[in-house]
Amino acid sequence: MRPRWRKVLHDLIDNKARTLLVVLSIAVGVFSIGVISGAYQIISNDMSVSYAANHPANVELRMANYNTDVLTSIHNAQGIGEAEGRRVNNFRVRAQGSDQWVALDVVALESFSKNQVNLLAPVSGAVEAGKDEILLEKDALKKLNATVGENLTLELSDGTLKELKLVGIVQDVSTGAGDFLAPPFAYIVMKTLPTLRQPELFNRAYVTVAEGQDDIANIREVGTALKDRLDKNGTAVSRTRFSETHKHPLADTVNAILGILLALGILIVFLSSSLIANTLSALLSQHLRHIGVIKLVGGRNKQVFAMYLTLIMAFGVLALLIAVPLGGQGAYGLALFIANKLRFNLLGYRIVPMALMIQVAVGLLVPLVAGLAPVISGSRITVLRALSGDLAGDENKPQAGKPDRLPWFDYMLVRVTRILAMRGIHIPRPFIISLRNTFRRRGRLMLTLFTLTMGGAIFIAVFNVRVTLHDYIGAIGSYFRADVTVDFDKTYRLSEVQKFGLQVDGVERVEAWQFIGTELLYPDGAVADNLNMLAPPANSKLVNPIIVAGRWIRADDVRKFAVSEAILNFFPDLKPGDSMYLKIKGRTEVWEVIGIFKFVGREGILAYTPFEYSSQVLNLTNRSSSYRFVTTQHDRATQDLMAERLDHFFRGAGFKVRQAESGLASLDTASESLDTLVVFLLIMAILTAIVGAMGLTGTMGMNVLERTREIGIMRAIGADDRAVMRTVIAEGFVIGAMSFGLAIILSIPFTYLLSTIVSLAVFETPIDVVFTYMGYAIWFGLILVLSVVASILPARNAARLTIREVLAYE
Amino acid sequence: MKAPRVKPINDSVKKNESASEAMIELRGVVKRFSNAAGEFTVLKGVDLTIDRGEFVSIVGKSGSGKSTLLNMVTGIDHPTDGHVVVNGSDIYTGVTESQRSKWRGKNLGIVFQFFQLLPMLTLLENVMLPMDYVDLYDFDERPARAMELLKLVGLEKFANKLPVLVSTGQQQLAAIARAMACDPPLLVADEPTGNLDSRSADTIIQLFEGFVAQGKTIVMVTHDPSLTSRTNRNIIISDGELINETISKSLPQLRHRHMLEFTKIAEEHIYLPHETIISRDQNIDYFFMIRKGEVDVVLEDKKKKESLVSRLQAGEFFGEMELLRGGKSIANVRAGDQPVEVLALPRADFIRVLDESPVTADAIRKIVQSRLEAHKVADQRSTMP
Repeated sequence: MRPRWRKVLHDLIDNKARTLLVVLSIAVGVFSIGVISGAYQIISNDMSVSYAANHPANVELRMANYNTDVLTSIHNAQGIGEAEGRRVNNFRVRAQGSDQWVALDVVALESFSKNQVNLLAPVSGAVEAGKDEILLEKDALKKLNATVGENLTLELSDGTLKELKLVGIVQDVSTGAGDFLAPPFAYIVMKTLPTLRQPELFNRAYVTVAEGQDDIANIREVGTALKDRLDKNGTAVSRTRFSETHKHPLADTVNAILGILLALGILIVFLSSSLIANTLSALLSQHLRHIGVIKLVGGRNKQVFAMYLTLIMAFGVLALLIAVPLGGQGAYGLALFIANKLRFNLLGYRIVPMALMIQVAVGLLVPLVAGLAPVISGSRITVLRALSGDLAGDENKPQAGKPDRLPWFDYMLVRVTRILAMRGIHIPRPFIISLRNTFRRRGRLMLTLFTLTMGGAIFIAVFNVRVTLHDYIGAIGSYFRADVTVDFDKTYRLSEVQKFGLQVDGVERVEAWQFIGTELLYPDGAVADNLNMLAPPANSKLVNPIIVAGRWIRADDVRKFAVSEAILNFFPDLKPGDSMYLKIKGRTEVWEVIGIFKFVGREGILAYTPFEYSSQVLNLTNRSSSYRFVTTQHDRATQDLMAERLDHFFRGAGFKVRQAESGLASLDTASESLDTLVVFLLIMAILTAIVGAMGLTGTMGMNVLERTREIGIMRAIGADDRAVMRTVIAEGFVIGAMSFGLAIILSIPFTYLLSTIVSLAVFETPIDVVFTYMGYAIWFGLILVLSVVASILPARNAARLTIREVLAYE
Repeated sequence: MKAPRVKPINDSVKKNESASEAMIELRGVVKRFSNAAGEFTVLKGVDLTIDRGEFVSIVGKSGSGKSTLLNMVTGIDHPTDGHVVVNGSDIYTGVTESQRSKWRGKNLGIVFQFFQLLPMLTLLENVMLPMDYVDLYDFDERPARAMELLKLVGLEKFANKLPVLVSTGQQQLAAIARAMACDPPLLVADEPTGNLDSRSADTIIQLFEGFVAQGKTIVMVTHDPSLTSRTNRNIIISDGELINETISKSLPQLRHRHMLEFTKIAEEHIYLPHETIISRDQNIDYFFMIRKGEVDVVLEDKKKKESLVSRLQAGEFFGEMELLRGGKSIANVRAGDQPVEVLALPRADFIRVLDESPVTADAIRKIVQSRLEAHKVADQRSTMP
């Protein structure tokens, strides 16, 4: 090996701590981008592939009871591929030895072996349930602590209890996919229905289209035609849902979130590149003498350039060796985490070629780009300067040609200290050293500040976004202000329910709400989407809408409704006063939009009309099957207790109760899923914080290295270990404090940006941003700790130096 | 080796008054360095005492160990073996580097060849810094004291300038002001004028002389003979060993290696007052150098009456004439009124070294010549009727 390459090898091996710092600086960026790009690839591929692998229905029809003849006619309809009938009933279920009831949607299939649509994948135990046997969807286990082999108790609507044997656990990634609020599922065979006192009839149809399974327009067309046909033939369809075979219902949300993660990943690469630039520039300045000697003995610029470029490439390769395997594992881990949360499967661990290529490119190109400027300037340096020993690289030396004047910034620093001193404010000199040292390497300071500020701003913004989302969920809660909702299997008179309900301790008020299942039509009569119309009393205090345009419902409104913003997806120019075609109970009617309000777009289009008018539409005066109860206390625990009490009371009084649910239950579920999203963001924020802290450690390490001689002087004139450490740590602290100030400012646009992206992805509507002191306080604490921790190691090294060592070069 | 009695380092400042006469005591100080090429000894068992109020220069060639010796005194480096007591404190026994730094701030000021002012602080702030580190003087008094010191060195107009904006001479003056910030009893300077023009160098030495006059002890490493002549004492170090100061004073023209050789082979003789050291007509086998006391060179006439030819002081030598001329003693040499300590060199070694050092031989020959003339005059006087 030629001596110059031997030198490169030695540079790599001899100073292991420095090599490690450079390699880790590169590796952290490569790792982050590897994790994110890998997870992005895995999720976007596996989500659709694994979803499609389960043959998801393109059209889901919720219908009145129907028999196999109707199912056959569905099967034979034009454009239909597969069709499967099922019966879905909601039961309260409890595990053996438990008194905790859990609401499950029990799905009855004609035959497990002939299952063609919304396939069930085995998890454990049997894959088919026989008569009086039951299978549980694996998500149900989160709520129901049951084991295969035991009996589950189901409560029928008349209050009788029936036991079914749990024979297996399955996974159903299709049914209910994308519905965060859907109850868990259980599966039985149709023959078990009589045991549960249910007719052996279907009430759902899951249908695939024969062609164009990924063409939503085609699916809608076929589905709407099918629905019309069924309606005409007397089988009422209450609700339809359309979806593409290769598109998970949550794909858009997930992609939006992954997009944010990807943006953050790219940002981390930028941050780590500034870290790399800093480290390499310090490395080059340490090597100035070497370069001087190389040139002195005949080395040319090109040779020096090639040597240091090779060194940088070597750093990059070493970083790749660390970051690629870790990034691959991290990517799969993150993908798995998201997949579990969103109930879809991955196709197994693998190396994602695209992610690998991105990592290799980042690992080699970023150091190259970051190191190019220092390498070029280093290779062009004159022998005289290289050997002059001017290694501290002060940027506060007088400018060339102006030997008697200081740069304005240093002049200002000195001047400010002097003015303060003249006013009797003497800053301790050791702190002045820290303060002025901070600004000596301004290029390096800028890069460090950039890294730390970005980390801080993202960190703070994530907390703001979290509060913003929760605040919005809280606001959404104002649509569900009832403490307990009790749904009955049949309608009851309001006075009757009031009479009984008010007898229950803690119940203050009872309201009857009605529900009208309608369809929103385009002017040409085609179905745009389902429209769930709720009908509370017009003066109800249990809804507090966030009105965007127009007004709320009034008791005298006739054929008028307020609708959620989601309608704008279909009618972007809609405004209050416009008329809409609705299909209600098979009739097409014209209704007037009186107001538009904010809601969660993902939950479909929601509308409100006054109970006073809906009673006429449904022909149910003062009767309803759905009642809202207001209790004296409004916390979740009381609500749960009251739900249980009301359920028990009404059942005891002979009412056919379907379910009683606390008002906050569904909101809590929604909050939990939002927290999952916030966790992703927080992981990214922490990663950026780590990059920032590494940047600061690197900067402090380099500063200390370059100022070794000055530290020796301090020791020579009386600075003990603590004094030296204080000086170094104070410098880190000053940088940390400065970055905090900048992060406060930058966090504001970041909060708006992140909140908008996330709210559009999750709620399909922009939401009002809320700021919280929490992120600022935590980051302030964290940055203080990080600054100190990042400075401790260099400070300890500085304190350990003996003066002889540091002054040795003379 | 028995350690000298010392006080604990942390109390050193308080106990200055009760400390002994010696400001610096080095006992058997050995310093070894190891590197890939092996181990080499820089200081080979140095013993040295410097009293309070002395102005001492240390000279030696490059690599002789003079900076290492200075580092031993300042606590900048630590000895492999031996003890260093400065201002009454054993600075290496049971003392951490950190404690030593604080001690240094209070007990000694250091002046470096390259000034070593902190570039980010103004001259005034540089001078205040040691006071901050050792927490000496009231916080609000420090600026005034620093300004006083800058006035002393003539830099009051530049107090608020950064070091980079003043000349090298001014930087060194500021460094001296900084060294005196905590009013230490000892000032150690490593080539303080090495980077300065002769005018600046003179200013600095004048300042040092002023400090010595105030009772400070100054130890200075220098190459400049014009500076060594202005110090009270000149210590020469060669190859990690100190040269006997009597030899260096008696035979200043000798090469350091010869001085060192003599240091090793010279015998120490002590004579009582008036005791005869050499008798007339006695065969001489030694070259004598006076370390302490006075020596009388006396001639005797025929009536046994004595006449004093010369009185030699410490740092002078005798016996050279006989050795060089190969004859017998031409006069009586005896101790003065006080006991005399002399160093005696065997004839063969003396002759051999003179052969190798023509400069010294010339210098001695000149002295012999002048002494012979003085002797002839005295002899004529003693033989006159």
